[in-house]
Amino acid sequence: MLLKILLSGDGGQGIQLMSDLICRAAIQRGFFVSHIPNYGLEQRGGVSLAFIQISDNEIAYPKFSKPDIAVILSPQARERVRNYESRIMNYDIGEHKDVLAKNNVSQQSYNMFFLGLLSKLLEEKNILQREKVFELLKEKLGKKPNWEENKKTWLLGIKN
Amino acid sequence: MKTDKKQFMTGAEVVVRACVDAGAKMMFGYPITPGTEILSHWIREAQVNKDLKYLQTEDEIAAGFCVCGAVLAGEKTFTATAGPGTVLMQDALSMADGMRLPVVVIIVQRGGPSSGTVIYSQQEVNLAIHGGNGEGLRLVYSPSNLTELYEYTRLAFNNAWKYNFPAVVLSDGFLMKTRQLVDLGFKIKNFSAEPIISENTQKNIRNIYTFEEELGEKLARDKKDFEKMADEVVKVVSYKVVGCEILIVAHGIVAGAAKEAVDILQSQGKKVGLFRPITLSPFSAKELNDLARQVKKIWVVESSMGQLRDLVKQNLDVSVEIDGLYKPAEGIGSDEIVKLFESF
Amino acid sequence: MSKEAKFCPGCGYPVVLRFLHTILKDKKLDKKTALGLDIGCSLLAWDALPINTFQTHHGRVVPTMVGLNRAKPELLSIALVGDGGAYAIGLQSLLWAAMRNDPILVVVVNNTVYAMTGGQMAPTTMVGQKTDTSPAGSDQPAVLGPEMIRGLSPKAYLARAAVNDIKQLNEYLNKAIDTCQSSNFALVEVLSFCPTNWRTKGAETNERVEEMKRVFKVGEF
Repeated sequence: MLLKILLSGDGGQGIQLMSDLICRAAIQRGFFVSHIPNYGLEQRGGVSLAFIQISDNEIAYPKFSKPDIAVILSPQARERVRNYESRIMNYDIGEHKDVLAKNNVSQQSYNMFFLGLLSKLLEEKNILQREKVFELLKEKLGKKPNWEENKKTWLLGIKN
Repeated sequence: MKTDKKQFMTGAEVVVRACVDAGAKMMFGYPITPGTEILSHWIREAQVNKDLKYLQTEDEIAAGFCVCGAVLAGEKTFTATAGPGTVLMQDALSMADGMRLPVVVIIVQRGGPSSGTVIYSQQEVNLAIHGGNGEGLRLVYSPSNLTELYEYTRLAFNNAWKYNFPAVVLSDGFLMKTRQLVDLGFKIKNFSAEPIISENTQKNIRNIYTFEEELGEKLARDKKDFEKMADEVVKVVSYKVVGCEILIVAHGIVAGAAKEAVDILQSQGKKVGLFRPITLSPFSAKELNDLARQVKKIWVVESSMGQLRDLVKQNLDVSVEIDGLYKPAEGIGSDEIVKLFESF
Repeated sequence: MSKEAKFCPGCGYPVVLRFLHTILKDKKLDKKTALGLDIGCSLLAWDALPINTFQTHHGRVVPTMVGLNRAKPELLSIALVGDGGAYAIGLQSLLWAAMRNDPILVVVVNNTVYAMTGGQMAPTTMVGQKTDTSPAGSDQPAVLGPEMIRGLSPKAYLARAAVNDIKQLNEYLNKAIDTCQSSNFALVEVLSFCPTNWRTKGAETNERVEEMKRVFKVGEF
């Protein structure tokens, strides 16, 4: 088994945090994981990518050109990852605009919605347990001011 | 799956762990992407471990010479740099070449020439080996993954201090930023660092010679020592080469992708193997030539326009066709390598 | 000195080295000293004294001694460097060593020229002075090292002496070493003879140093 996930968004959208939680949850199920971030030169406002691989064997090379799952959190990111066509699943923010608007999800929590979506999908694929993701998420953000909204948005992602 | 006891770490964290485990007590450095995190992790570590010292210097030149000075006093110490910083580091590395100082430099390759990119390349091979105004008598390791980054950083310290040659760990921006499960189980006894000068010595050490013959004799001795060291430290991996007709040559992180590609190609019945030098200097010429006699063609795969190819050519005594995939400053994945042999 | 190193006849370096050695012996520091040499005529001192001595690169003796001192503060770290090494190619590191107050002693031998390479213009070449690379006379003001550093390094001991006043030279070197021993940066610039490149003889050489003193004020700063 080798699953390749590409997360993309604007710098500051929390792409690397999502990546960290997914990787750690997959490690807990005994998988080998590899994560490499990619940013532009800018400290802020550039595109932020995370290349994740989850495998039951050691991973030889951290980058890939064809993800199995691609997650796109911004128009700028969509432009950047155009060449990385996904093979299984594309999660594009464009397709979830209505749900996000209907539930008054603030921009800062978009990543939580997609983390929820991914948690559900990856649990179905036996790669991680969604509870584990939640546990790690709580560890990281539980004491931060927006915790309730983040939690709510993550759950919204699970349900969609 | 044996992921227990492994740790999820970035390349920069691995380097710092390896240096601490190797007995390094001091780091001198200057921030430059993608090597900066080595300095910042070391300094973070030093907040907890009070044995660790550091100095953020005014430039890479000073970082390198501070390392030289500390090494003279018997301190296990190192610096880390990248790209234009690797160029500046040649000044101090050249002094280490001349005075046989066990200076350890972690190079984190980025795109060049000039400021290039801050991301990744394999374009600092020539600088790592031959960047000084001399003969390139340096020990250069090219690790493929983070577990190896740990091992070869440990070995760089040990062998630098054992044989008195400067040692470079030639990594890259991908390796440094990647997080993987890392096996830190590598066990090796640390070679002790002895001061070159101290209260108990009275040495007058030169690195500039009056007569050309003096320098010639010194270099001949150095070369002899280097060759003696080569027998003991040279490292190479020949992967699935039995009966292969095409030999891929790759190093560092690209060799990781090439290994994957060889697995795929052989599962398709294609006779493609991999030759991977781990020490780029000294280079494993014997193994390369033995394999070159057996194969029809060598394919060099590297993120440079041919720095590894030139190294291969320098070491080949056998006439064999050489082709290559050269992508300066761009990553090369296994699928691209597999594609090369579609019609083979 | 253990050996008469290969300095030119009339050179000021041996004077500086002789005093340095005597002071170190008097202070019982000769076994506890590391003497680093820049490249330039300073390199000729590599086997001049029976104390730990080594050559480095042009402009790089200061960072080398900073590293050595940080690894082994028990050793007195002395950098012997010419005006070019200190104030041109090595200036950045010199200023930073002073600003960080690294406890090393920098002895700058100022003879207003790049002497080893045959008398080219130096940062200390005086206005109007003719050199190999300023044949019409230099038109830029000479760098005043100790004065420049003064405002950057409040705890530093900074002085300028001359080889033709050995009493003062002796006094300043003594104070500079004491400063390092109490963990502060010290720099002593020494106005020195270079009859070879000045093309001067006997009394003329001494007169030139007196002339230099009008541009480079001796004293403590």
